[in-house]
Amino acid sequence: MVDNGKAGPGESGLFNRIAVLRAERGVSRQDLADVLGVNYQTIGFLERGDYGPSLKLAFAIAEFFKLPIEAIFATEPFRLLSEQVYGSAAGTKGLRGGGGR
Amino acid sequence: MRAELVLMGRRLDMARRARRRALVVWIYAALAGLIAAVWSLSHWHGSGAYIIWAALIACRFFLGGYYRGGLVKPFQYRRPMREDAAPSLPALKLRMYRPVLASDEAGMRNDERELHQRDRAHYLAYQAMGMAVVLLALVASMRTVLPPLRAWIRMPADELYYGLALITLTLFLTLPQAILMWTEPDMEQGQGIVSRE
Repeated sequence: MVDNGKAGPGESGLFNRIAVLRAERGVSRQDLADVLGVNYQTIGFLERGDYGPSLKLAFAIAEFFKLPIEAIFATEPFRLLSEQVYGSAAGTKGLRGGGGR
Repeated sequence: MRAELVLMGRRLDMARRARRRALVVWIYAALAGLIAAVWSLSHWHGSGAYIIWAALIACRFFLGGYYRGGLVKPFQYRRPMREDAAPSLPALKLRMYRPVLASDEAGMRNDERELHQRDRAHYLAYQAMGMAVVLLALVASMRTVLPPLRAWIRMPADELYYGLALITLTLFLTLPQAILMWTEPDMEQGQGIVSRE
C-alpha cells in the first residue's frame, strides 16, 4: 500500500494516497491527526481505506498536503508513482531487468 | 475509543480487540449472574434497582459512554465541569479523582469516524432492544393464549415482565458501548511515526 502509493478501497470504496504522502513528508499519524482534529486511529482507518472521510475532512487533508483533492482520493486505483514519473515502459523495465539491461 | 482503561489508578492496555471482547463477556456474565441471584433471592422485591446500579457502575468504570471513565468516550461530548472544591479524601485514597486536564478534553471528544461508529452501534443496539420488546410482547400474549405455558413458566406474570423490563433497560444502558468494544478492530500501538533519514 505504502510502497506504490495505493491504498486498497477497503470498506469505503475509496483509494487514497495519504500514507505515501505522509511518509514522503515525514509526518506522523499523530501529527496529522492533531492538525485535522481527529483521533490518530482514524488516520489509520483512512489510510487503509476502511473509512471514507466527510467532504470537510477530505478538504482539510488536501489543504494540509497542499494538493488538489483528486490527487489524494480517487474511486479508481491510482497509477503507480513510478509509472507516472517515468512512464509505464520504464517502470516495468526497471522491475524486470533490475536496471542491468 | 480509548486504548487504555484506567482502574483505581492502574492503566490497563485494551488496544487488542480480544481483550475488549473478553471484558464484554465478563461484564455480561456478571450482570446475568446478578440478575439470576437477585431474582432467586428476593424475586425483585425492592432489589431490581441493584441491577440498574450495577449496569451504571459497569458503564462508569469499564464501558464508558456516559461518563469520563471507561473505554468508550462520552457519547454526547460536554465540557467537563470545573470543581472549585477539593476532592474528598476517600476519592483520593481510592484514586477515583482525576483532574480534568486540557489534553484530556481533546481525548474525550469523538471525531467524525467515532460519531459514525457510535450511531451505528446505537442502531444495532436498538434493533436488539426491539427484539427484547417483541419477546416481551410474545411471552405476554403466549401466556394469555396458551394456559399450559403458564404452568411451564412458573414465574408470576408481574415478576416475569419486570425481569424482562430490567433486562431491556440493562441492554439500553450497556449495549451500544459493548457493540463498539466488540467491533472496533485492534488499535495500532505505534502512532505511525515516520522519520526521514
